[in-house]
Amino acid sequence: MSGEMANEVKLISGRSHPELSEKVAKRLGIEVARTISLNYSNQETSFTVGESVRDEDVFIIQSTTTGDVNEGLMELLIAISACRTASARRITAVIPNFPYARQDKKDKSRAPISARLVANMLQTAGANHIVTVDLHASQVRSVFAIQGFFSVPVDNLYAEPSFLRYIRENYKPEDCVIVSPDAGGAKRATSIADHLNTGFALIHKERPRPNVVGRMVLVGNVEDKIAILVDDMADTCGTLVKAASVLKENGAKAVLALVTHGILSGKAIENLNGSVLEALICTNTVPLGDKIERCPKIRVIDISPTIAEAIRRTHNGESVSYLFNHAPV
Amino acid sequence: MVRNIVVLGGNSHPELVESICGILGLPACSRILTKFSSGESRCEIQDSVRGKDVYIIQTGFGGNGSRLNDHFMDLCIMISACKTGSARRVTAVLPLFPYSRQPDLPYNKAGAPLYKAPTPNGENGKNQYTFDSVPPTPGPGVPKTSGLTNSSDIANQMIKNALTNGSSKEQYTTHDYENLSIVNGFQAKPGYKQWVAQAGTLVANLLTCAGCDHVITMDLHDPQVQGFFDIPVDNLYGQPLLKRYIQQHIPNWRDAVIISPDAGGAKRATAIADSLGMEFALIHKERRPTKITDRQNASMMLVGNVTDRVCILLDDIADTGNTITRAAKLLKKEGATTIYALLTHGVFSGDAISRVKASAIDKLVVTNSVPQDEHKKQLGSKLDVLDISPIFAEAMRRVHHGESISVLFNYE
Repeated sequence: MSGEMANEVKLISGRSHPELSEKVAKRLGIEVARTISLNYSNQETSFTVGESVRDEDVFIIQSTTTGDVNEGLMELLIAISACRTASARRITAVIPNFPYARQDKKDKSRAPISARLVANMLQTAGANHIVTVDLHASQVRSVFAIQGFFSVPVDNLYAEPSFLRYIRENYKPEDCVIVSPDAGGAKRATSIADHLNTGFALIHKERPRPNVVGRMVLVGNVEDKIAILVDDMADTCGTLVKAASVLKENGAKAVLALVTHGILSGKAIENLNGSVLEALICTNTVPLGDKIERCPKIRVIDISPTIAEAIRRTHNGESVSYLFNHAPV
Repeated sequence: MVRNIVVLGGNSHPELVESICGILGLPACSRILTKFSSGESRCEIQDSVRGKDVYIIQTGFGGNGSRLNDHFMDLCIMISACKTGSARRVTAVLPLFPYSRQPDLPYNKAGAPLYKAPTPNGENGKNQYTFDSVPPTPGPGVPKTSGLTNSSDIANQMIKNALTNGSSKEQYTTHDYENLSIVNGFQAKPGYKQWVAQAGTLVANLLTCAGCDHVITMDLHDPQVQGFFDIPVDNLYGQPLLKRYIQQHIPNWRDAVIISPDAGGAKRATAIADSLGMEFALIHKERRPTKITDRQNASMMLVGNVTDRVCILLDDIADTGNTITRAAKLLKKEGATTIYALLTHGVFSGDAISRVKASAIDKLVVTNSVPQDEHKKQLGSKLDVLDISPIFAEAMRRVHHGESISVLFNYE
C-alpha cells in the first residue's frame, strides 16, 4: 500500500460495530489490528493494543451502539489515548455516527453543548483527524458547527451517492417524489430530488419536546407517486411513521424512508412494523443487530466502501471530495 | 447555610449527595439527568449557576443497573453545562476516582517481561540472541513487517465481545492482564509486548477539557494521579475515620496488629500504626490471575507475628476482594484470632461479595464513598459503613471559603 515505508494503515475496531470494521478491512485488503477491549468487573473499560502501532497511520472505527453511547465513546477515547501513548504517527477516529451530534447548541439556559464536549474530548485524547458520515445534517448548519468545534480536520462523508444509486437501481425516478419530513432537511432532500430529476415535497411539523411528534402538514403533491422520505437518522421513528401516514392520506402509492443512521431506539421496531411505511432503507453506520430479523421492512445499504475509500485516500494523501458525489461500487 | 454555592449530584450516589447537602444546609440543585432512548445522556440544569461556586458530586462506581462510563460522561456533560452556564468555578467531587487503578503490568518473577525474539532455529535449541529489533527497523531492502500473515479471527471475537446493553457476560479484573490469553485466547503479535491503555491520565485530561477547575477526591490508589492534573486536586484521607473506628469499636485495640495486605499499602498502614502506637505486619504477595490454590497462597508471605492476636487489615480499595480475602486466609493460618478489614473504598465488583462472605474476615469496615446499601443487604452485620459525608461537606465548605483544608488530613 505504501511502498517500502513502515507507515501502514492500522485499522482498529471498537466493540460497537466490528462487522463494519471487518468489511472495511476486507475492502482495504488488510486485517483488523489485534486489540482487545473489555470491561473489568468494576466496569472500567480497558483497551490493549496487541501489535506495534509505532509510526503507523491508525484508523479507529467506532460507531455508537443504541443505548450504549457512552460506553462506546469512552472505549474510543481510551483506544485513541492508547495509540497515542504507543507512538502512532497519526490517529484518525472514524465515527460513522457522531455521538451527541444533535446536542450542538445551547437551545435553552444551561443546556450542555455536548457535541462540543465530545469534540474536545476526542482532541484531548489525541485524535488528529475525524472521519464521519452525514453529521446530523437535517440542520445543515450543524455540520459546520461540529466541524467548528474541532481544531483538527473533520471529513464529513455523505451517504447521498449511495442513496442515489439505490433509488436508480430499484425504482424509476420518474415515479418518485422525494419528501423531507421537516423544514431543516429540505436542502438535503432537494439535492437528491435534483440529482434524480424528480418532484419534491415537504412536511411541516411542530415538535414540542424531544422524541415527541406534533402536528404535520404536507406541502406539495405526492398523488399516485412513490413517496421517499429522506432524513439523516431514524431514532424512535415517530416522525417517519407519522409522516408516512400523512403521505398515504395525501394519495401516495407507496411510502419509503431513506435514512443514513438507523439508530432505531425505544419502540422503533414496533412503530415501523405497525406503520404504512413500505420499507426503511438505512446504511449500516450503526450496528443493527437483530433488528433486521425483527423488522422485515428494514433494508440495508452497505456504507463500508465509502468509508474504506475515504481511509485509503486519507492515508495516501489524496482528495476525499470525489466521494461526495460518487459511491464506490 | 453556605451562600453562593451550588451542589449538583450525579446519579451514581444520591444518598451521599443528600447527606452532604443536609450538612451544608442547602438543597441540591435541581436538574434532569437521564438518557435519551438512543443512549445519549440528557442533562438539563434547572437552577441558575451564573457566578456560582458549583460542586458536582459523582463517584466512580457503576452498579445496581447503572454504568460507570455513563456516570463519567454525565459528569463531564454536567461540568461542561455549568461552564457554559457561566458558573464561576466548577469542582468535581469524586469520592472514588474512576480509572485511578492502573492495570497490573505483566510482571513476573524474572521482572518485567522483555519479549522473546522468535527463536531462529538455532543449533542445539539454544537461543541465538541477535541485536536486530523485532519488528525490524524499516529501511531499503528490509521487508515490511509481515503483519498480515498471521490470520486471526479477532473480528469474530470482537463480535462475540460486542457492546451490549447491560454488563458483559464474562467478567475480567485488572489482574487478568498478567495473562491476557485467558480473554478469548487473545494473543499479541509475536515479538510485541501488549500495550495496555493507562486511562488515568486520559480521565484527568478529559475532566480538565470539560471545564473542571478543581477536583476533590479521597484516598487515590495511586497518589501520582494527582500529578496528572494541571488543576488543583485535593486528595482527602479516609484514615482519620478508620483510626477512630479502631479506637472506638475494636476491643483491646492496643494489642491488635495492623496488617498491610501488600507492599504498596505499607505506607498507609504504618502511618496509622505509628500514630496509634500499634504493632505492624506486612504481607508480601505475588499476584496470580488463576484460581487460588494452596501452593499459590504460599506465595504470600507474612512479615511479622500475628499468633493469637487480633489483626486489622488496612487497604484503600477492595474491588474483587482477592487481596484481602487471601490475606485473611493467610492470617488465620498464622494463628490470628479475629480479623478486621478496614477499607476506604468497598467496590466489591464481580463475585467479591460471595468471596468475602466465605472468607476468614470477621468484620469488614468500609466508607460510603460508593453506595453500600446493596452490599449491606447481602453482608448484614459483617459489614460496617462509615459516613464520609461530613469530611466532604467540610472540605467543600473550606474550599468555597478559601480556607485551608490541610486540617482535614490529620485531625485526631
